[in-house]
Amino acid sequence: MNIRSPINAELDFDAGGKPEYNGALAHAEGLRKFYPVTKGRLLRKSAGSVKAVDGISITIAKGQTYSLVGESGCGKTTTARMFLMVEKPTAGEVYFRGKNIHKLSREERREYRASVQAVFQDPWSSLNPRMRVESIIAEPMVTHWRLSKAELRARVADLLEVVGLHPYHAQHYPHEFSGGQRQRIAIARALSTRPSLMVLDEPVSALDVSIRAQILNLLRELQQDYGLSYLLIAHNLATVRYMSHRVGVMYLGKIVEEGPPSSLFSDPKHPYTRALISAALPAHPRKQREEIVLRGEVPSSIDPPLGCPFHPRCPMAMVECSTEYPTERTVADRHWTSCHLYPASDNTSA
Amino acid sequence: MVNGNRPDEPLLRVEDLRTYFYTRSGVVKAVDGISFDLHPGETLGIVGESGSGKSMTAWSILGLVPKPAGRIVGGRILYKGQNLLEASASEMRQVRGSGICMVMQDPLTSLNPVFTIGNQLIESLHMEFKGPTAKLRKMAAELLAKVSIPSPETRLDAFPHELSGGMRQRVVGAIAMSRSPNVLIADEPTTSLDATVQLQYLNLLKEIQETTGAAIIFITHDLGIVARMCDRVAVMYAGRFVEQADVMALFDSPSHPYTQALMRSVPDLDEDVSHLPSIEGQPPSLDDLPPGCAFAPRCEYASEECEVYPPSFAIANGHISSCWRHSGEYSVAD
Repeated sequence: MNIRSPINAELDFDAGGKPEYNGALAHAEGLRKFYPVTKGRLLRKSAGSVKAVDGISITIAKGQTYSLVGESGCGKTTTARMFLMVEKPTAGEVYFRGKNIHKLSREERREYRASVQAVFQDPWSSLNPRMRVESIIAEPMVTHWRLSKAELRARVADLLEVVGLHPYHAQHYPHEFSGGQRQRIAIARALSTRPSLMVLDEPVSALDVSIRAQILNLLRELQQDYGLSYLLIAHNLATVRYMSHRVGVMYLGKIVEEGPPSSLFSDPKHPYTRALISAALPAHPRKQREEIVLRGEVPSSIDPPLGCPFHPRCPMAMVECSTEYPTERTVADRHWTSCHLYPASDNTSA
Repeated sequence: MVNGNRPDEPLLRVEDLRTYFYTRSGVVKAVDGISFDLHPGETLGIVGESGSGKSMTAWSILGLVPKPAGRIVGGRILYKGQNLLEASASEMRQVRGSGICMVMQDPLTSLNPVFTIGNQLIESLHMEFKGPTAKLRKMAAELLAKVSIPSPETRLDAFPHELSGGMRQRVVGAIAMSRSPNVLIADEPTTSLDATVQLQYLNLLKEIQETTGAAIIFITHDLGIVARMCDRVAVMYAGRFVEQADVMALFDSPSHPYTQALMRSVPDLDEDVSHLPSIEGQPPSLDDLPPGCAFAPRCEYASEECEVYPPSFAIANGHISSCWRHSGEYSVAD
């Protein structure tokens, strides 16, 4: 795969002499997103709100992958949409290179939108079937930059090579490609504005099994070559372990456990993380996992349970779990969980 | 293993099945000469990628190949000794109802939202058992109890939206059990489900299997489901079975290069993997297959021999692989 293309040298966003922020590329503090729910057709009455994301803080380090795992409806995609500025948080802030993204000037906001890009799950619906690959990949650049036709064409050709396709593919339409190739096109489009953060929302789950490893490896190579940071959303835990530097486990809008993948997956602490891992399918019939069958269903996020949101289903629930939300407790190196089973430590956020 | 001593007579025997589609751009060989046996109570997994022909295998067995483009051009499907390809339409209807059943892709959306649970269960029961509705209603309630739904009598009058996701799954399971099928075909039953819900559903299918003694054919792309659920596995690539084995044998010593590469390319949750060896290239399109082995263009062992399709070699008891690398050591399976 030809990764060493001429754009390599200029892809670093900071090369233009901007002061680089030391530390995290992006972080969120106390992020909340509530959607109001109304009752009645004529006289709309407020009936509470869906607490999609309920106070999460995460840090995405430069050149690393932060992954969010959890079941549908736990708020992972809403979190990602707030990083993409598609959704405005109800409370809390998102910082990018140390700046609050909701207080950016018009010009800075344009720049932010260019440097945060996304790759979605389904490359059949994320690419416009009536546009040629060239226009698909060039579109973000047309929006953000002023480039001549020749410059655009040259850059599209470079990008196609970076993602392992050929420059002549620029003239084709999406339907001429297989799923894996389409996802490569979507990645090229995301790379076109030289982003430093990419949101990957289930990037391989719609692809054939034999193609998934190709795309995962491509994403890892791009990360190494361009120092990209990823916010990865995936439900396949093995994929997450392969891709991530840090993993947050979400349940009902809250992060219940966070840590490096080796520690989190080999020694999970929170009962929900344990249940999630026990439900993962084995890689070999001899490696059957001990099954933790959870009681009941995920409660509605309109009216989440008091205390720890997981307590009604938790096999280890105690009295205080139903009254008090557990603070973050460090359980291993850079690994914390919000669970009353572990002694409260004096640190607040690891 | 469930089938320590297999009965001699398989419940379902598929011999050299070929299902082709005649399209303007040529003949698409969706299923091209597959054979397998299914014994009572056994769980067979058919693993393959999209377009490998695994769903068409299921539809062929059920006699549901889309016409007129699709046609079964060869082979036999013997169910309890009867060749289904020669069965009349009404005989097929009988087989589909109470012999071989298909379980829904998405168990959560396969209930009709405008009918009550009871309606839908009784409709299915009515096909098999004549009798007063009150009697069928009682049977329906018993079925719901069998899949551990609390207060089944009252649940019969509930609409699907009044039940939780897990309960709806169980209702669908109850409908599948209502005709006491001998073979259940589950086509990607859990792709759209979350991990914990998937586990519940797989357990439910196991429960149904234990209660009814049905054999299950699992059609999936997920090797994890195979490892979790199946007794035997057939690996399908471009319309053919490239390898067939007992599940332990397949995972312990995968033989066909495609199976080997596929297993290597799946990340493991229990270990840190520094690099995943991926399979380069794309799965072939079925209307433009290379002559000989369809995997050869992506295969690291490919040689000139591969231009002729290899026969099936029996490399161990019950372990069959279609690759020329075994031509020296092993005999050709029937």
